[in-house]
Amino acid sequence: MDSNQKRFVEDALDLLNELDEGLMQLEMNPLATAPLEQVFRTMHTIKGGANMFGFESIGQLAHQLETLYDLARQSQLQISDALISLTLHAFDKVRDLLKEKDVAKINDPEALKDHLKAAANFLKEVEAGSSSDLTKTSITIHKDELATFYLQISPSINITEDGNHPLVFIVQDIAGLGTSKVILTKKHSGEVLHWEVFITTTTPQSELESYFIFVENECAVKYKRLLACDLFEQPQFVEYLNTLGAQSLDMAKIEGFVALRKEACDQQKDEDNDESANNASGKRTAHDSYIKVSKRKVDDLLNWISELIILQAQLTTTASSIQSAALADVTEQLEMITARLRDTSLEIGLVPVETLVTKFKRLVRDLSKQLDKKVNFISEGSETEMDKDVIEMMTDPIIHIVRNAIDHGIETPAERRAAGKSEHGTVKLKAFNSSSYINIVISDDGKGISKENVLRKAIERELISAGDNLSDEEIFDLIFHPGLSTASQVSDVSGRGVGMDVVKQKINDLRGNVSVKSMSGKGTAIHIKLPLSRSIIEGLLVNVADTRYVVPLNVIERIDRIPYADINRENKVCKTVVVNEEPLTVLSLRQQFHDEVNPPKTTDIISVLVNGVKKGIAVDKIEGKMQTVMKPLGDTYKQQDFISGSTILGNGNLALVLDPARLFSLTQQ
Amino acid sequence: MRNNDNATNAYLTFALGAEKFAISVNSVQEIVELEQVTKVPNAPQYMLGIINLRGKVLPLLDTRLKLGLSKTEITKKSRIMVIDLETNDEKNVQVGALVDVAREVIELSPADIQNAPDFENYKTDTPITGIVNSHGDITMIMDITKIFSTAEIIQLNHSVN
Repeated sequence: MDSNQKRFVEDALDLLNELDEGLMQLEMNPLATAPLEQVFRTMHTIKGGANMFGFESIGQLAHQLETLYDLARQSQLQISDALISLTLHAFDKVRDLLKEKDVAKINDPEALKDHLKAAANFLKEVEAGSSSDLTKTSITIHKDELATFYLQISPSINITEDGNHPLVFIVQDIAGLGTSKVILTKKHSGEVLHWEVFITTTTPQSELESYFIFVENECAVKYKRLLACDLFEQPQFVEYLNTLGAQSLDMAKIEGFVALRKEACDQQKDEDNDESANNASGKRTAHDSYIKVSKRKVDDLLNWISELIILQAQLTTTASSIQSAALADVTEQLEMITARLRDTSLEIGLVPVETLVTKFKRLVRDLSKQLDKKVNFISEGSETEMDKDVIEMMTDPIIHIVRNAIDHGIETPAERRAAGKSEHGTVKLKAFNSSSYINIVISDDGKGISKENVLRKAIERELISAGDNLSDEEIFDLIFHPGLSTASQVSDVSGRGVGMDVVKQKINDLRGNVSVKSMSGKGTAIHIKLPLSRSIIEGLLVNVADTRYVVPLNVIERIDRIPYADINRENKVCKTVVVNEEPLTVLSLRQQFHDEVNPPKTTDIISVLVNGVKKGIAVDKIEGKMQTVMKPLGDTYKQQDFISGSTILGNGNLALVLDPARLFSLTQQ
Repeated sequence: MRNNDNATNAYLTFALGAEKFAISVNSVQEIVELEQVTKVPNAPQYMLGIINLRGKVLPLLDTRLKLGLSKTEITKKSRIMVIDLETNDEKNVQVGALVDVAREVIELSPADIQNAPDFENYKTDTPITGIVNSHGDITMIMDITKIFSTAEIIQLNHSVN
């Protein structure tokens, strides 16, 4: 294959994804012209390229199908499920073919024969005018309407505003749906009394309500639709909120602003009505301009930036030892620029989650047909960006979760009717950023995970004993245990329990974590949290016998300082120590890896969460929090996998980054 | 050089104890002095730890231990040879090899090199590809990439654990 052909294959694979996306939109909206035009254009591009670079049979197929869609453009043919399926299957085959390395194989006339024939037959039928039996689909044009809501969310449990409870994220998510203002009222004890959210959004109330499905038992939510336009455009309202301070809201005042706004709004609406009609379809075309850059160049760039960050740290250390105001000044400015450069360059390697979403739309479509279930797939925040490598590594795990959701979660239409739900189940993939993490939540409104089933299975397989008292969280965490599948019947869709443990492993490898929420009859939500970057790590720098280690911050629960003698009672590496009035299994890095010459007086116990169990790592001294670039140790130290990498400190010395999960599995052997 | 019909190759000579060795300069990136080494726990003894080579993290290996000799005593003359290892998947892997003394670069033509006798007392399979006998002063030519091949290190680690 020459370089032109290679480039065509690469482009074509991208185009095929776009095509899938377009076809899927078309399937939902058979009368829409924008996706039809897009599909037609994409096919045309594929056809042109294929013919130019000598892939005749692909060109031929694209031509046949393009003819069909051209007829649809001229309204001589109606877009039908049959046509979409035919096209999807044909281009699936093309996609498979393009992954071959051998041009002769790609050009094998036999490979696409069936699809060509199917397309030709379809065309014949259309020309014979027998297409009238195709299912007619009616659509309702739904126009999103802007409205301002007032929500009061009162948790019934004790949580803090910076806590890890999903409710905190839900409130953030809701606030992210439009122009919003969140007012937090705390109890005297510091816990959240309630959140009050003003939000102007196009999201309907029913969808706002759906956010709280999984936390229904843990909070009470009041909704109020204030008016059908943007209250934030009323300056007095915004000013009132900003000057509110610690006072509580005066709803009467709000009502006043609402009335004022309503008047202004009604006037404007009449003027706007004519304009807005044409704007709906333009959404996808407003792209930034893009250039294609090879992955290697981006990797190189990131490598150099990493070096720069390390040098920067060294410079800062050196500059602080030389007492020169001028040098300190320059160093500080350089530090700022370096940080910006780092952020920008990290962004270069990021791609929107959208690429994943297209794949899932396909998966959901195919699976629901196969299983005779009716499933809607909703994605949110697909513009959220992630590292391309991470997306690639996460694709299979997420596919697995989505599969599970459809196969085990969503019920059949009959079951759903009986349960008083709509026939269509919903699978939702939501992506969003929070501090230095990417969050992906996959939720469904199916039957939920049966706690009893999980418990029964776990007891049967002796993973836990019958008397164990487990929290909901711990029970759901069991589904990640190797060899536990709750499907009473193994289907060919979601395997035989070799899945969720791999999912968890992959997420752990990326230094992320995953949690499950489920309500019987209401659905399941799986929350995946991944660090923004694979190479930049936030951690605690600790010292053990003059060796420095970094413990990743994402697993740390708390830190306690105890006398060194306390961990020295038993002559074992892993021992139970009472920390914070709780017994804790503690591994002393000093006793495990170093000698006990000159032990310190005190030892810091870092409590970490390993596979849902709290464990302690004993270190000599904690030196501080740091954000650093992680460098892999390479194949030479592959066996020492409890060290996930190293990082260069400001003084040029190296610190070892620990992988806590693997560290503890070391002592279990 | 005695035979001019053959092109010469450059070799770097170094010493392990009293023995002199030479390796092809093509696989040597540079020679650096020994500075701070960070030990990685639970590794075999010959894997001394990791070093920071101008922002690059390299594993440091004890050449003597790897060859079955006694542990290298660190002196002022101890040097690290930074060696490029070729791997199957085009990735360029570098390791640091600690030696007692790094000497000089010499030019040798193939005719200078004699076939090596069997070395029973060296652990690794035939790392010596030839010897140079210069008036009784013997230098052994070593295939350095073979000694430090990653695959072998991994395998060795397996047997250690």
